[in-house]
Amino acid sequence: MSPRWLVARQSALFVLRERTVALLGAMFIVLVLISAWLGWSATATVDGIYQQATVFLKAAGRTVPPNPVFDMSPLFLMRNMSVYVALIGALSAIVIGNRLVCLDRKAGVLPLIGIRPLSQGDYAIGKIAALGALIAGLSIVAAVAATATFLVLPSIQLSLLQWAQLVGFMVVSAVYMAIFGLIGLATGAWSRSETVGLLLPVTAWLALTFILPQLTANLNPTAAINPISALAAPPDIGFFHWTAQILGPFSLADSFKFASARLLDYLPPDISPPSFIPPFLDLLLALVAATALAWRSLTGLAMTQGDYNV
Amino acid sequence: MSDAIMTPAAVAPSPIRTIAAKDIRDALRDRFVLIVTVFLGIAAVVALLTGAIALRNDVATYDAAKATLLALGKSAGEIKAPEFYPLRLLRGAIEQIEIIGAAISILIGYRAAASERGRQTLALMLTRPMRPWQFVAGKALAGIALLAGGLALVLGMLTAVLHLSSGVGLVPDDLLRIAIVWGVAVAYSACFFLVAFILTLHMRQISHALLAAFAVWLTLVLIAPQVGDTLDPDNQVAGGVFAQLQISKPDQTQIMKGFATFEALRNGIEEASVTKHFERFTFAVLGIKSTYTGMALWPVLVEMTSNLIWIVMTVLGLGALALALPLNPDRLAKA
Repeated sequence: MSPRWLVARQSALFVLRERTVALLGAMFIVLVLISAWLGWSATATVDGIYQQATVFLKAAGRTVPPNPVFDMSPLFLMRNMSVYVALIGALSAIVIGNRLVCLDRKAGVLPLIGIRPLSQGDYAIGKIAALGALIAGLSIVAAVAATATFLVLPSIQLSLLQWAQLVGFMVVSAVYMAIFGLIGLATGAWSRSETVGLLLPVTAWLALTFILPQLTANLNPTAAINPISALAAPPDIGFFHWTAQILGPFSLADSFKFASARLLDYLPPDISPPSFIPPFLDLLLALVAATALAWRSLTGLAMTQGDYNV
Repeated sequence: MSDAIMTPAAVAPSPIRTIAAKDIRDALRDRFVLIVTVFLGIAAVVALLTGAIALRNDVATYDAAKATLLALGKSAGEIKAPEFYPLRLLRGAIEQIEIIGAAISILIGYRAAASERGRQTLALMLTRPMRPWQFVAGKALAGIALLAGGLALVLGMLTAVLHLSSGVGLVPDDLLRIAIVWGVAVAYSACFFLVAFILTLHMRQISHALLAAFAVWLTLVLIAPQVGDTLDPDNQVAGGVFAQLQISKPDQTQIMKGFATFEALRNGIEEASVTKHFERFTFAVLGIKSTYTGMALWPVLVEMTSNLIWIVMTVLGLGALALALPLNPDRLAKA
């Protein structure tokens, strides 16, 4: 068994024993299940409102517009999942990344690992692989929940293309979570304090989720957590054109929202993402950058050092 | 001179005041509170400025349309003038306090408890002639005072920016409303401070306590309001389902009577979160919600009493819990 594989397996098992990681992971999975119910319930209510509204419209002698539910793709049911990935999925990934390296440092095993026939590159690959496996595990559970929902609801039939779109959404979700997990891994490795190692990626996540969308699209924080309101077009003025150009590529939450909306068929045709870089490419570039950051931090980790300072 | 005056206990300040003053000095010295306050201030000012810029664009669009109509010899009354209420521009900033302010309160609460555990000084402090509740009260008061100071700075900065950028100027009634919002924001953020403080003081591992506090934050601040918001049928269709169907307001009310159970469930989920009560109260007082725009302050306060009671009872309940829970010697050391 290669040293990389041993590091990956041991790290993943160590993290899975952590109750807080299990708590956040369980919250994520429960919310994925809830999101299916939310989507179904809200859509059924809109349909009910339409049925009652037709009575009022006919009584007033007005034209009855088409039912908005008929314009919705079945994938629209899972729209809330994109919000839960952006909120709790990203936060869970940060915690997983942080714990993967933090547990080694707190246990004081780095000097012991340092004397084994194992390069720091192998150690870094092992940790990144463990993170990838844990995030893939979360994504697979979420995908199974989403698939089961579509199979259980009798009135919903997905075409082959729509199944492929659902798979694509799960892949994009995993990439988004992995970006934050890798940042958590990096800050957990380089910071001198355990708390700072956790707070830095959380601060970055807060800024990306709630501050950048305000600058690029005048989107208030509570609108950012609604999958529909989050896709509003920015005001057509110079300031927002400039901020979209400059900050758009860094606004990963925006890229994820637009990529999700496109894959789950709820992106309005007249609205485009703020960044000039397409959302999928933007997320891939961010993944590469986050991997490089994690690699640099893990390979630069002082193996003679044990616990954090504070 | 009586004996009581001669005793050192009567001359010395109370332990609560001593601990609170020491914690405030420590917090100001290590600049953590200052850094997080600046972060919140930046988020809030960004929200205010982007809102103001967008509004300025609306005004410019209106002026251009009006000029076009007048040039064509038509009446400018054909288009609706954008309404300008300066306090409504605070919407984004209030939402930042609601989300980021609560997260910062958790960090301050965590640090208030973790600092003693990290330095292994908690057991030592409890050997001093004071009761455990006095120690807890001193720490909690210091944390809440720091939050109050930070929020005063942020809201003061927002008021100044609003006054200078709006071009209208704020009147005393506006300042009173902002002061009320400050008071409620302190109570709201104190809830999250106390959650983190209690968890960090009593859980075996302090890092787990921080994560557990963030799980509470996620549930109350983001998930419960998000679920309620998502279940709002008007948020399911771009532009709103009633707007798309062109249903008048009285008819909307009539239709929604048929969905009373659904609405009760949705409202119940929202009301379970202290965040939603904070949002409802502040949006009403500042006139951000259109129903309350231009309304006198007192009737708004009367209507919002239940939200205020909810926030106050939550903070008092958590405060009582913090004081009542016995300090476990097994939890006093760093873990």
